[in-house]
Amino acid sequence: MTDVDNLKIKLAQEERDILRGKQGPTMQKVMKTVVLYGEALGAERLVDIEGEGHFVIPWASPGIAPPLEMLDELVAAGLKTKHPFTLDPNAPLDFESLGLRPEQEQALEHMYRDQARYDERMLQLGLRDTDAYTCNPYLPEVGNIPKRGTILAWSESACAVFANSVLGARTNRNGAIMDLLSNIVGKTPLAGLLTDEGRRATWLVEVRTAKLPHPQLLGAAIGRKVLEDVPFIVGLDCFLGSGLSEETLDYLQEMGAACATHGAVGLYHVENITPEAVDQGTGLLAPDHATYVIDDQELQDLMASYLVMWANKEAKPEKCYIGCPHLSLRQLYWWTDKIHDALQARRQSQLAIETVIFAAPQVLQKFKADAKAHERLKRAGVKLSVTCAETLFEGGVSAGEAVITNSNKLRAYSTARFFPDKELVEILVSGEIRGKLK
Amino acid sequence: MTHVGFNAYASFSTSIHTRVEAAQCADSSNQELYGKNLTDKIICLPKTTGSTSAGAVWQRVARMGVAPKAMLFSQQIDSLAAGGLIVADVWVGKRICAVDQLGDEFLESVKDGDRIVIREDGTVTITSGQQTEPRGRV
Repeated sequence: MTDVDNLKIKLAQEERDILRGKQGPTMQKVMKTVVLYGEALGAERLVDIEGEGHFVIPWASPGIAPPLEMLDELVAAGLKTKHPFTLDPNAPLDFESLGLRPEQEQALEHMYRDQARYDERMLQLGLRDTDAYTCNPYLPEVGNIPKRGTILAWSESACAVFANSVLGARTNRNGAIMDLLSNIVGKTPLAGLLTDEGRRATWLVEVRTAKLPHPQLLGAAIGRKVLEDVPFIVGLDCFLGSGLSEETLDYLQEMGAACATHGAVGLYHVENITPEAVDQGTGLLAPDHATYVIDDQELQDLMASYLVMWANKEAKPEKCYIGCPHLSLRQLYWWTDKIHDALQARRQSQLAIETVIFAAPQVLQKFKADAKAHERLKRAGVKLSVTCAETLFEGGVSAGEAVITNSNKLRAYSTARFFPDKELVEILVSGEIRGKLK
Repeated sequence: MTHVGFNAYASFSTSIHTRVEAAQCADSSNQELYGKNLTDKIICLPKTTGSTSAGAVWQRVARMGVAPKAMLFSQQIDSLAAGGLIVADVWVGKRICAVDQLGDEFLESVKDGDRIVIREDGTVTITSGQQTEPRGRV
């Protein structure tokens, strides 16, 4: 690790002063962290953060969030972020929405015993409001929608990649803690995805499938291949059309989340769809780019490579989690219709598997205001939660349970089994994994 | 040693919540490392991948005393690993040695179980197996 006395990064006078302790020892430590980060990324200098933050640190869960002592130190020093911020979904303490066993609830209560104090610290440090918890913050109902070109220091891999690719904002993939510290100093390294050069594509990804692939399977294939590089994706506009329709926004949110989970993709361009690709086209491709062709076989092979992580691999599914990342209002209606239609077709009233759908508080509030739609889901036995499905597996709380999901991101971070949407609906109504899906 | 990206969050996901003597890789997508002990080991990798929660993971494994000894990157260090390792250093006082830009050849020549010497100037010597001495950035 490099020391601060021997830096290549150019610092402004104010930054040097803070580094020397002019704004107190805690701010000095915060600045040192951000400056060393810039040095490691090869940044020429730090630049001002221009918009609201979004961070991956909502839970008072060791190993994911900054420790409380660190937050106490920041608050005691009177520090807060330069702009308000939103956070990933809140801790899984909305038990009435989750249908957990008593021992699971107790384990979660113990795990998140410091959550109230943690939430208070987040508000003191700049959290926008007490409902600002979702991994889909750029939905109109939530409203953290940075403008194109805005410099940010976001974390949450799914959000950073969406902000860069679809909104055209500029953020690196910052890790937990670095997100908060960068936004406290209000500066982030001018490196990587903040630069025009860093936004050029070094991979041409040709999608040659017979139909629109599942976004989280396609994203996983891309992420696994290109790792941290920037892909320029062609072949999706023939399925999705040009530009950014509501459906396309949802598709890209899911695809990007999987790209970022299975690789470290912080930016992708999609021909005729994402803003920089619309403006610059294949001019975004670096001359010596590599090419990756994705066909149906490639995606089938990838799907077949996923291990079944259930304790009993032959078990009947017990639970289903939908909404990782959090669903949009349109997706919530889509699932409501699909579940309703599938139940009607089998003359069933309820799903055979306990199902929880996850979405932002503001989205659920709007959905619940539509009494007819909400009633349909309730009658089917579906619960609605504002938390994160992934947290239900933290600390082994749901380890080995026969959970199914439509999220390849959730699969990667848990023992849940992944099924594409259509197959998942079949399993939900029948309660069984049949035939080829086994 | 892993030829695919090292997903730090997935790899340490079972080691960050309960006190363990050593962190076993819990990333089932990484067939080279899954189930292997990561504590006090030198991890040779192209880059890290996955969730941005990894930033806090490094700090946590450092506090719990189950961190790897060093991280040797064949490519330039990625933002998640850089941020996480720096936070562990500045806020926990635990320095996990990191050398990057060692090149693809390094990753091809190193094998699980090799003994490795890392010098302050970034020179990495594999002292067992095939003898190579790439020099990276510390």
